[in-house]
Order: sequence, then structure tokens, then C-alpha cells
Amino acid sequence: MLQPPDVKLLPLLPVLLILAGAISSTLLGFWVQRRTLTFINIGAVIASAVSLGWLWNRDLSAFGGSLRADHAALLLGFVILAGTLMTLLVTLDTAWRARVSFPEFDAMLMYAVTGCLLIAFSGDLIVMLIGLEIMSLSGYVLATLQGSRRAEESGLKYFLLGAAGSAVLIYGLAFVYGATGSLNYAVIAEKTSTLNPENTGILVGGALLMLCGFGFKVALAPFHQWTPDVYGGAPTSVSLFLSTVVKVAAFAGMLRVFSGALENAPGWHSVLAVLIAATLIVGNLAAVRQMNFKRMLAYSAVAHTGFLGMALLGTPAAGGAALGYYLLVYTLMTAAALAIVAALQRSEDGFSITDMRGLYYRHPGYAVALAVCLASLAGLPPFAGFFGKYLVFQAAFQNGYAWISILAALTSVAALVYYLRPAMLMFMPDRTPAREYGLGQRPPTTLAVALGVAGVTVLGLLPNLWYAFVAHPDIWAMLAGR
Amino acid sequence: MNSFTDWLPTLMIFLPLAGSLLLLVTPKTFRDEVAGFIAALTLGAGLAIWRGGGSELFRWDWIPPLGITYSVQLGGVSLALALVTALMSFIAILYAARRIPNPGPMLSLILAMETGLIGIFAAQDLMLFYVFFEDALIPALLMLAMYGKSGRMAALTKFAAYTLFGSLLMLVSIIGVRYLGGSPSFAMTDLKQNLVTGSAQTWLYLGFLTAMAVKLPLWPLHAWLPDFHEQNHDSGVPDVMGTLYKVGGYGLFTFAIPLFPDASLELRPILMGLAAFTALYAAWIAFRQTDWKRLLAYAGLSHMGFVALGVFSLNETAVIGAMYLLAFQNLYTGALFLSVGMLQERIGSLDTRVGGVMTQAGALGGLTMALWFASIAVPGLAGFIGEFSILLGAYQVSPWLTFIAGITTIAAAAYALTAFQHTFWQARPAGSVGVRDLVHTEWLILGIPLAILVLFGVYSTPALNLMQPAVRAVLSALGGN
Repeated sequence: MLQPPDVKLLPLLPVLLILAGAISSTLLGFWVQRRTLTFINIGAVIASAVSLGWLWNRDLSAFGGSLRADHAALLLGFVILAGTLMTLLVTLDTAWRARVSFPEFDAMLMYAVTGCLLIAFSGDLIVMLIGLEIMSLSGYVLATLQGSRRAEESGLKYFLLGAAGSAVLIYGLAFVYGATGSLNYAVIAEKTSTLNPENTGILVGGALLMLCGFGFKVALAPFHQWTPDVYGGAPTSVSLFLSTVVKVAAFAGMLRVFSGALENAPGWHSVLAVLIAATLIVGNLAAVRQMNFKRMLAYSAVAHTGFLGMALLGTPAAGGAALGYYLLVYTLMTAAALAIVAALQRSEDGFSITDMRGLYYRHPGYAVALAVCLASLAGLPPFAGFFGKYLVFQAAFQNGYAWISILAALTSVAALVYYLRPAMLMFMPDRTPAREYGLGQRPPTTLAVALGVAGVTVLGLLPNLWYAFVAHPDIWAMLAGR
Repeated sequence: MNSFTDWLPTLMIFLPLAGSLLLLVTPKTFRDEVAGFIAALTLGAGLAIWRGGGSELFRWDWIPPLGITYSVQLGGVSLALALVTALMSFIAILYAARRIPNPGPMLSLILAMETGLIGIFAAQDLMLFYVFFEDALIPALLMLAMYGKSGRMAALTKFAAYTLFGSLLMLVSIIGVRYLGGSPSFAMTDLKQNLVTGSAQTWLYLGFLTAMAVKLPLWPLHAWLPDFHEQNHDSGVPDVMGTLYKVGGYGLFTFAIPLFPDASLELRPILMGLAAFTALYAAWIAFRQTDWKRLLAYAGLSHMGFVALGVFSLNETAVIGAMYLLAFQNLYTGALFLSVGMLQERIGSLDTRVGGVMTQAGALGGLTMALWFASIAVPGLAGFIGEFSILLGAYQVSPWLTFIAGITTIAAAAYALTAFQHTFWQARPAGSVGVRDLVHTEWLILGIPLAILVLFGVYSTPALNLMQPAVRAVLSALGGN
């Protein structure tokens, strides 16, 4: 008896809008300028964000639960779109300078976002994997597109390690299927809560393999080795995209899989805790030694992976809320900081930290904005980064991981040192000639920076504007669906 | 709820910040006046609260899902410290406007920091306290970065790293205090009813203590302090704000004693020992300094050892003395930093071995000496009442440690008078430039703090009346010790 497939397009609407942007970039690229395409894509992103709001509170699903537009999906989708919007704004100014100004760039970017959204909306492991692969493959191309040796090297590194990560992930996925007999999150969650002891070994193995695979994607130590090279070697606007949107999507996947489907599976918590501890130490200590600002931000992204990961150690209710808040804040502050780098750098290598001396006296607006971003990244109140940090500390602490909280607090001291150095150098008087790009301030980039800075300031003073949406525990209790 | 007096603390906290932002758009010619006016208004708000006998607790749910409230209250000890902060910020602005070329950013930063500091004293919610605690740090760092000397980067990193090391551990403790105690919010009223008990309390206290010990500062977490002062701008204006930033004693008093009563009693001997050692050790090092700012930094450290001794002794007299000393130490150390700034302006050096300044700048020398007398606790000046009460109270708890700390008063006289004698008396080196005496506002800058120190040294009742009920209320948490 063949059942008709449960095809509903409405829950897919946000994804389809982005996909429409991607396809139009692919096709229209033959006739119109890239800037026009970027504007079209910005429109698609905004339309998609509006459709997220429209789907709010409807709790739709399609394909027999394989794709779910539940609250978690919509919230994470919003964060992904916020990062995408900022990326697109920055590329309006800097893509030409970075020699990636052709339609394929926009098309690839939008395909990657399509994949990212699919991960957030996924209801089973296959959809998650498809999203992840769309995202990753587009990401490899984006990192290589510039056509410089550095970009090629970083793209190749990203591809090889990413492919290995994917392979491990798929292997783990197969194990989980073997242990539970299903790929659907809800069924897996149900099976793992009443565990059959014969399959426990396979399940634990599968969970751990998947953890390794995701570890590659989000850059958990010791799987983070590619990050500094890729983020440092790719064009800055691509680094911006990879370190925010792609990371958010990968975390959305982890949240769905680990806090949702595998919530009751044994073993992975303690392994994740150890990986996070390693990430916190490695990321923060390595960042202290970086003299290139862009590379430093890459290591800081690794360090932040550690903080973000702490949310997964909490209960889904507390951890999901913490992650939901932190991901948006992380996107805003990281994207704004990298947007400033993209605007001011002379070459795609970024600039040296010592070049930032006296920036305040040459570009006061950008310097203050960057200082706000760095303060937020360091977790200083009243900026939103502080509440993000506080929430993940709390999530881990409440669930019995006090030692991770203390370790995170201690490594944050190192973080403060490396965020503080450039921030303070900017305000030191300087008489040497400027070392940044002369024509560095253009309206779209400034808009992206303003969005980020306004976001971290407002969300820092009134966190409830966003936290009220993500705070509801029911949202995160149903990560795997019913 | 809606009466004006309930809003006064909030007004006092955020008025300087509003002024700081206003300065960014004020034309250069009016900047000094606007900054001074805002600072005076803030002080006025504080005096109005004092006249009304302190404010009631004002509570507003800031972030309801997280249980973080905006609870502020200025009364008792917190009001006294807020008033001192407002006064010294006003004086710092008065001096900065005259002394520093293009003072705009400095004035903004002073005002921004004032908001953080008054907020620290007013906060009655642990998270709010933490937010203000960190907020005050940012302007302090920026002052050092923008106006500091050549070694500022290292000093800055050290300062920030120590501070953050402490406060992040405190953050974990704050989370622990709420969740292990099961309090519905971070407001002190709720936390006091849901105390953590047993060994967890001791651990949480240690996290909290680390932050406060950095700020106090207490040996061995004091290393940032001398560099911080040495590398700051010569005028001494950032140092005034830095002096005000030593809020550790207050934090221990308002938050640590009520929240960790058992742990406070348990650790009392060790902590009193550390405090007494800090006082003596700092005084000993101060004796060897030849840079006025480092000397003052170590002198301040020594006073803070006293404050810590008083707070840790958990004795009513000693705690009142500690709070009294904390308030007035800010006045005289701040004013002394400014007088050092004036000295530097005149002779171009911060070295203590100058000689003969008194012959030409008698008023500067005289006022400086009077301020030093306050600092070394000469009776009749406010410093004496504080130090004497601390020694009197602490003696009842631990005579030997108090004796060790008491030696410090002799050491203080030795280092202060030696340095003073080197700079102001002795022979004037041949061929040195003439030294101008105090001119117009400089009289006020040193005179106002001194007048207040004399007033409260002779007639301490108003300040004691303000502090005593607050101290009693806090110590009642210990169960009638």
C-alpha cells in the first residue's frame, strides 16, 4: 500500500524564499550586475525573515515530520538570516576589492544559507545531513573563490577536513540508525528513553562519532585545526559568513541532534564536556599569541565555540534558551567586528594588531564600534555578550557542570587580554601614518556595523527583547518533535 | 512607588552617564561648565537623599525570566560612599578641566565612571552589582589607554586581567548563590531568605572573596595597583577615580557578610591575618618608594588592609570604623593624588627627592601636609576615627593581629613624613626653576576635601549616625555575634 507523500510547502516557505534568491542569482547572473543580485538577495532574506514571523505559533511540519517549522527552527532561522543580511551588506562594499565580485559568489552564498536553514528546520537526520552538505559544499567553494594561493590553500584545507568530518558524521548517523532503527528525531528520542541494552554500545558509538563530525563543523578542539587557516585565508566577508552563519547552523544541528534526539543517550555529555574544556583552553590561549587581528578573531571564534557548547551541557530547556540568545549575540558582535576589518583592511590578510594604534583618531566611529564589539566579545556588561556568557555559565552550572563554568571563567581572563589589547591600542594617540585602507567607510558596511553594535547594546541593556522569545522552556523541550 | 524620592537614587546613578553622553555633542567652549554642572547636580541629588534620611528600596523587574531585578537603595553606608564618590568626581572634574589640555574625553570618562561607581554602591541585586562593577572598569581602562604613560599597555593588561580574574569567579559564585540556595531572583531581599548552607557556602564565599580581594586590594592580589597608578596621567585625575574604584571593602560588607555568614566566621582568622599582613607589608614597601604615585598607591594599599581587617573582624565597632575609613580614605588619598599632580605640574617630576618646594609654594605644602596628617591618622582628622575604631574593634577579636596592624600606623608616619620632608623641606637644589603657589580653583580642590576631613574628624556624629544602623542590620545576619 503506497502512501501519498506528505508534501506541504508552507512550512518550507522561508527556505524556498532563500532558494529562490539563490536560483535567481544563478540565472540572472548572465544579464545583470552582481550588485543588483545582492540587492535581490537582501530582499529575499528580508522576505524570508518576515515569513518566519508569519509562521510563528503555527507549529507546522511537512514530509511526515522530516521538516519542522517549530519555534526552535524559526528562532534559529532568524539568527541565520541576521548573519546573512550582515554578510550581504558587507559584500556590497568589499566583494569587488576582494576579487570575488561575480554572480557565482552570491549564488553560492544563498545556497549555503538554504542549507543552513534546512538544518535548523530538520526533523530527521537525513534532512539535517542534506542541509549540512549543501552548506558545507557551498562553503568550500566560497572559501576558494578568490583565486589567490592563500584562498586556494584555505579552501582545500577546509574541503579535506570538512569532508573527513562529514564522513565521520555519516558513519555515526548509520550507527544511530542501527541502534534505534530510525532516522527521525522523535523516534530516536523515544527509543533512547527506553533503551534496549543490546544496542547501547552501538548507540554510544554513533553518538560519539556524530559528536566528532559536528566537532569539525563547529570547530571544537581538537577538530578546530582548520579554523584559523580558513578564516584567516578566505576573503574577510567569507570569514564573516563562515564564522557566524555556518557556525550558527552547525550549532542548530547539534542542538537538534544532541539536546533533541539523543538527549537521553548515555555517554556523549561527558565527552562533550572534555572537548569543551579543551576548546576553551586551546582557543583562548592560542588567541593571545596572534598578532594578526583577523587570525585572532578566528581563534576567538574557536573560543566562543567552547562557550556556545557549554549550553549543550545544560538541560534542553535552560541550554536551548541560552544557546538561542547567545547565537544571535555572537552573530551580531562577530559579524560587526569582521565587517570593520573588511572595511579597513588594506589586503585580505586583515591587519596587524599594532596597525590599530590610534584608529580612534582616524576613524572614530569605527573605532568605537569595534571597541563595543570587543567588549561584548569579552563579556563585559552592559553589552549583550555578557548575558550570553552568563546564560551559558548558568546552564552548565545548573546541570552539575560547575567545573566547566569555573574553567570558562578562568580562560575568559586570557580572552580579556587579547580583546583588550587591540581595543586599547585604538585609543592610544599615534603619530605614524595610517595603515588602513583610505576609502574604508561605505554606507552598506556602516549599516551592517551599526546593526551589530546597536544590537549588542540594546540586547545588553534590555536582553528580554530577544530572550523573551527564546526563554520559553517548551520550545526546547520539543526539539525532537513529539 | 512613584514618588520623586524613590527615583532620586536612579537619578543620581544615571545623571553622570547622561552628562557623559551630552558632553560628546557639547561645543568645546562649554564642555567644562556642562561637566561641572552635571557633577554638581549629582552631588546635589545625593545631598537631597541624605536630607531625606536615605532612600527606600526601589525595585523593578529588569529581566524577569532570569530573575534579575533593578533594585537600588541609597542609605547608610552606601549613601555615604556615594556622596564621597560624587564629591570627588566633582573635584576631579574641576581639576581636569583646568589642568588637562583638551579635556573632553577625560571629562566624559570621569562622568561615565561615576555612574558605575554610584551604581555599585546603590545596587541591591547581585547581578546589577556585577553589571555596575564591570561598567566602572571600562572608563578606567580607557583613561589609562588615552592618557597613560609609555608603560601603560602592560599596566592596563595587568589591571584588567586581575580584575576580571576575580569578577568572573564572582560571577560563577553569584550563579551558585542563587541556584544552590533556590532563590527566585538575584535581589538581596530574596537571596537573604534563601541562604546556601554548609561547605558550598564556603566555596561560594571564596569565589566572591577573590573578586573583592582584587579590588580591595588584598595581598597577594594587589600587584596591579602600583602600576595602575604609576602609569596613569600625571595630573592624578584618573588616580582619583582609581581610588574610588577600590570598592572591595564595601562589597564584602554589603554582600559577603549577609550571604555567607557561616563562611565569614569560619575564615575570619585567616582573612584577618591576610589583612593585617597586607597593611604592614604595603607600608613597608611604601617606605622605599621614590615616586609619589607609587608611594600613594602603597599607602592606599596599606589603608585598605586596615579596611579589610575591620570588615573581616565582624565586630560592630571595627566594621563601622572600616566603612568610615573607606569613605574618608577616598577623600584624602584622592586629594593627595591631585596635590601630587599639582606638584608634577610645577616641578615636572613625580620624584620624592626634590627638596625645598615649601619655600616657594607654602600653601601647596601646607595643604598637602594637612592631608597627609589625615592619611596617617592624626587625631582631629577623619582618618583617625576610622583607624582607631578598627583597631579598637579588631582588638576584641584578635589582639595579636591587631597589634601587627597597629604597627602600620607608626610605619605610615615614617614613610609619609620622610617623603614629605624630602620634597617640601630640605635644601632647594641650586639653579632650579621657581615654583608657583596655588592659584584660584586649586585652593578649592585641596581645600574642600581637607575641610570635610577636619569637620568629620572633629564632629563625626552625622556620619556615624548614617552608618551605624546599616552596619547593625548587616551584622545581625551573623546571629548576634
